[in-house]
Amino acid sequence: MSLSTAEDLPTPAPIVVREPSLWFKLGLVALLALLCLVPFLFVLTISFGHKIEGAGWAFGFEFSHYKRFFLGATWPETFQSLYIQRLGYSLFFAAIGAVIAVALAFPFTYFLTRMSRRAQTVWLVVLLSSLSLSEVFIVMGWDILLSARSGLPALLDGIGFTDLMKDLGWFQWFRDVGLASPRAFKFKTSGFATVLCMAYLVWPYAVILLYPALSRLDPALVEAARTMGARPGQVVRTVVLPSVRLPLFGSTLLLFVFLLGTYVTISVFADPSQHTLAVSIYDSVRGSTLNAPFGAAQSVILLITAGLFLIAGQKLSKAGGTA
Amino acid sequence: MRISLFGRLFMGLSAVMLMLPILVVAASALNGGRSMLFPPQDPTLTRFSEFFISEPIWRTALGNSVIVALSSAAIAVLFAWPAAYFLWKRATGLSKAIAGLMALPFAVPPIVFGVGLGFMWSFLGGLGSLWAGILSHGALFAALPLVTISIGLQSIDRAHLDAAATMGATEGVTFRTIILPQTIPYTISGFFFAMVLSFNEFIVMFFVSSSSYATVTLQIFNSLRNGFTPTMAVGAITFIFVSVAAFSLVARYGDLPRLMGADQSRN
Amino acid sequence: MADLVMKAIRKDFGSFRAVDNINLTFAHGKLTALLGPSGCGKTTLLRMIAGLETPTRGQLMLGDQEITAKPAHQRKFGMVFQNFALFPHLSVAENIAYSLAIEGVAKARRRARADELLELVQLVGYGDRRIGELSGGQRQRVAIARALAQEPSVFLLDEPMSALDAKLREDMQVELRLLQQRVGITTIVVTHDQREAMTMADQIVVMSKGRAEQVGTPQEIYSRPANSFVASFIGKANFLAGEAQGGRFRVGDYLLQAPESRQFTNNSPVTIAVRPENAVIAETENAALGNNIPAEITFIRDVGSTRDIYLKTPVGEMIVEYGAGETLRPLSVGEKVPLHLPPEKLHVFPRDVEAAG
Repeated sequence: MSLSTAEDLPTPAPIVVREPSLWFKLGLVALLALLCLVPFLFVLTISFGHKIEGAGWAFGFEFSHYKRFFLGATWPETFQSLYIQRLGYSLFFAAIGAVIAVALAFPFTYFLTRMSRRAQTVWLVVLLSSLSLSEVFIVMGWDILLSARSGLPALLDGIGFTDLMKDLGWFQWFRDVGLASPRAFKFKTSGFATVLCMAYLVWPYAVILLYPALSRLDPALVEAARTMGARPGQVVRTVVLPSVRLPLFGSTLLLFVFLLGTYVTISVFADPSQHTLAVSIYDSVRGSTLNAPFGAAQSVILLITAGLFLIAGQKLSKAGGTA
Repeated sequence: MRISLFGRLFMGLSAVMLMLPILVVAASALNGGRSMLFPPQDPTLTRFSEFFISEPIWRTALGNSVIVALSSAAIAVLFAWPAAYFLWKRATGLSKAIAGLMALPFAVPPIVFGVGLGFMWSFLGGLGSLWAGILSHGALFAALPLVTISIGLQSIDRAHLDAAATMGATEGVTFRTIILPQTIPYTISGFFFAMVLSFNEFIVMFFVSSSSYATVTLQIFNSLRNGFTPTMAVGAITFIFVSVAAFSLVARYGDLPRLMGADQSRN
Repeated sequence: MADLVMKAIRKDFGSFRAVDNINLTFAHGKLTALLGPSGCGKTTLLRMIAGLETPTRGQLMLGDQEITAKPAHQRKFGMVFQNFALFPHLSVAENIAYSLAIEGVAKARRRARADELLELVQLVGYGDRRIGELSGGQRQRVAIARALAQEPSVFLLDEPMSALDAKLREDMQVELRLLQQRVGITTIVVTHDQREAMTMADQIVVMSKGRAEQVGTPQEIYSRPANSFVASFIGKANFLAGEAQGGRFRVGDYLLQAPESRQFTNNSPVTIAVRPENAVIAETENAALGNNIPAEITFIRDVGSTRDIYLKTPVGEMIVEYGAGETLRPLSVGEKVPLHLPPEKLHVFPRDVEAAG
C-alpha cells in the first residue's frame, strides 16, 4: 500500500453548519431575562428608591430603608429590632418546618421505593396532587382541624382528654406553652399549629426530592449488610442514611428556602408577635403599611438570606462530598 | 423485598395525615350554613351550585383560573422547548444561561418574585392585565417543562439521529420525524405540571393582578381576613380533582417514576 | 465500478489522534472488515465514511468523486448501528421505509418496498409489529433491511453482532455474508472479533492505535502476520524474545532456524511468534531435527475438539494445540518432553526494545 504523506493533501473544507439559531437564542435570552431577571433588578433598584406618600415610589439612592430594617426608623435616637426579629421568626419557622418534613419524609420515601413500580406510581400521583395543592386549601383544612368549635380541641374535649388533664393537674402546662385557653385546648394561634402546617406543606416536596436518591440506592447494598448480620434498623443507620446524606441535607435546605416565603400559614396560624418577614413584605407592598421601597428592601434581605444559605449549603455539601 | 410491619404502619399513618385536612375540607363543603363546621351541619349540595353557577364571583374566578393555567402552561412549554433543545444539542454558555434564567424564579421565595413582577408590570404598564399574569406564570413555571423535556431528550439514543442522517434526513427532518414524536409524552407531562401549579398559585398572581381580576385561589386569599366559607371548600374539591386527574394522565401516558428521577433499570 | 478510496485520512479529537494516516481502497462489491481492539479508531473510521464525522485531514473518494465534506444525509450510505438504533415510535415497516418517507415517496410504494426488504431478510409478515416486540436477531434483520432500503452505494455495519447472543451470532455472520454476496454491495463491517472478520470478509484491515497494521485477505493475515500485534490479535500465538545471530535467532541458550523473511542485522532484537497448532511435541530428543527446546508439561486441557498442552520451558511458558484428529501419544502432567518449533512456521518480527512486551 503506497503511503502518500498527509501533508500534501488539502485539509477538507469543514461541513458548514448553518447557525440561524444564534439570533433566536439571543432573543430567547432577552425575553427570559425580562421575565425572570428584570423583576429582581426592579426589587433591588426600588429598595434604594424614595417613598412617596400614598403608595408610590420614585427612583433614588438612599439607604433609609435598610437603616430602618437593621436599626429602626428612629435611629440614632432609639434602636428597634422589630424587622430583625421578623427575619429571625422567618428562619425559625422555616428551619423547624423543613427539618420535621424531611425527617418524616425520609422513612416514608425509603419504604415507598421498596414498593412495586405500580404502587409507586399511584403514590406519586397522590403526592404530586398534594404537593401542588394551593397553600390556601391546606390552611383551610388545618384551620378546621384546629378550630375550637369543630376540630381537635372539640375532639379532645369530647373524649374526656381535657378533663383528664385538668384532673391530673397537667392542664396548666398546656396553658404555659400557649396551647390552651383557661377552659379548653386552643391551637389557633400557636407555634405548634404554624410548624405543623408548614411541615405538612412541604412534606410531599421532601418525598419527591428524596425519591431519586433513594430509588437509585442499590438494593444489593442493603442485602449485603443483611448478610453480614445487620438488623433492619442498623442497615438504615449504617448503609442507607450515609449514602443519602447529601440529598437529605440538600432537600432540607431547599425546603427551608421555600418556607422562608410562606405567607398564608403564618398570617392564619402564627401569633401576630411572631409574624415573619414575608408578612411584613406583603404589608409594605400591598397591605396595611404601604411603603414599596421598604417592602423592596425587605425582599432584598430575604433574597440575600436565601442566597447565602444556598451558597453555604453548596460549600458544605461539596466539602462533605469530598471528605 | 417485603416492607416490614413498622414500614406499613408508618406509611399508613402518613397517608392518614396526608388525607386528613383534604377530607375535612371536602366534607365541610356540604355545610348548610356559612361557617366551616366539621362534621358538616344541615348537609346540602347548594354550595356546589353556588360555586359553579349562581355566584358570578366564583364563576369568573374559575374562568380566569382556567385561562391563566392553560395559557401560562402553553407559554412555559414554548419557553422550555428551545431551551431544553439547545442545552441537549450542545451545552454552550448561552444555552446554560437560558436554563439558569428559567430556574431562577423557581428557586427563590415566590413572594419576592411576585413583588418584583408587580414593580416591573406597573413600570411597563401591564399591571392588572390578564396577559401580564399569564406571562408571569409562564416564566415562573417554565422550569418544570424544561426538566421534563430535558429528561425526554436525554432518553433519545443519539445513534437514532445518526441513523436518520445516514438515511438522508437533514437536521430539520430529524427533529420533526425522530425527536419530536419521541418527546411528546414528556412535553405533555411538563405542560400538566406547569398547568396544575399555575392553577393553584396565588402569591405571584396577587401582586401582578393588582386586584383587577382574581383566580379562584387568589379570590380565597383575598377573603382570608373574613374567614373561610363552605363555597371555598367546593373550590378546594374541584382543584384536588383537577390535580389528581392531570397527574393520573401523566402517569397513564408517561413513566411517572422515571420522570421523578427513579432509576429505570430497577423493578 | 466505483471503489471507495481513503487517502491519508487523519482524525483528531482535541489532542487525541483517533485515526492516523489511513490509506485504503474498498473495492466495489467486496466486504471489508475493520478489525481491532476497542479504541483503535475503527468506529471513527466508519463514521467518517458515513459522513457522521469529518476527517481532520485527507480525502475520501467514491469513484472519481470527492465526498470528504459531503454531509451524511447526502451520502446516504446505509448503516447498521451497534444497538441497531431502530426508532421505537415507528413500526417495523415504517422503520424500513423511513428513507423513502422523508423523500416523499407515496405510502403504497413505501409499503411495497418495505415488504420486499422484509422478504430479503426473511421477516415476511412482521411489517406492522412494534420494535419492542422483536427479538435481538429480528431487530438486526430490520436494521439491515432499513439500511438497504435506500439502495446505498456503500453499506456500513458497526459491530452488528455485538447485541446478539453467541449462538445466534455465528448463524447471522454466515447469513449476512450470503446476503451481501447476493446484493453485491460494497460493505464495510467494524468488529473486534477476529472469527467474525474471517467468516465474512474479502479483505481485513487490522487496526491498532489509529493505524492500519495490516491489510490483506483473511488467509494472508492469518498465515503471514505483518507484525507481532497482528499475530497476537488474529488467532493465538506463543511469543519468544530473542536476537538475530548470523541468519539464525538466539532465544535464551537455543539457536532457532526461521525463514529469512527480511534482513536482520546481527544482535538486533526480534520477536518470534509460533501458533499453538504449529508447535509439535516431538517423539524423541532428536538433535538432528533442530529447533528443539526441552519442556515440562504443567497442564493438559482437553475440550474434546482440541487438546491444549501447557508447557514450561527455559525460555518461557508455551501452549501447543492438537486437533481431535491428530494423533498424540499419551501424556501426563509433569512429564518432560522436547518441544519442536518447525522453522517454516516461525514468524520473526523486529522487537521494539523500549516498549515493554
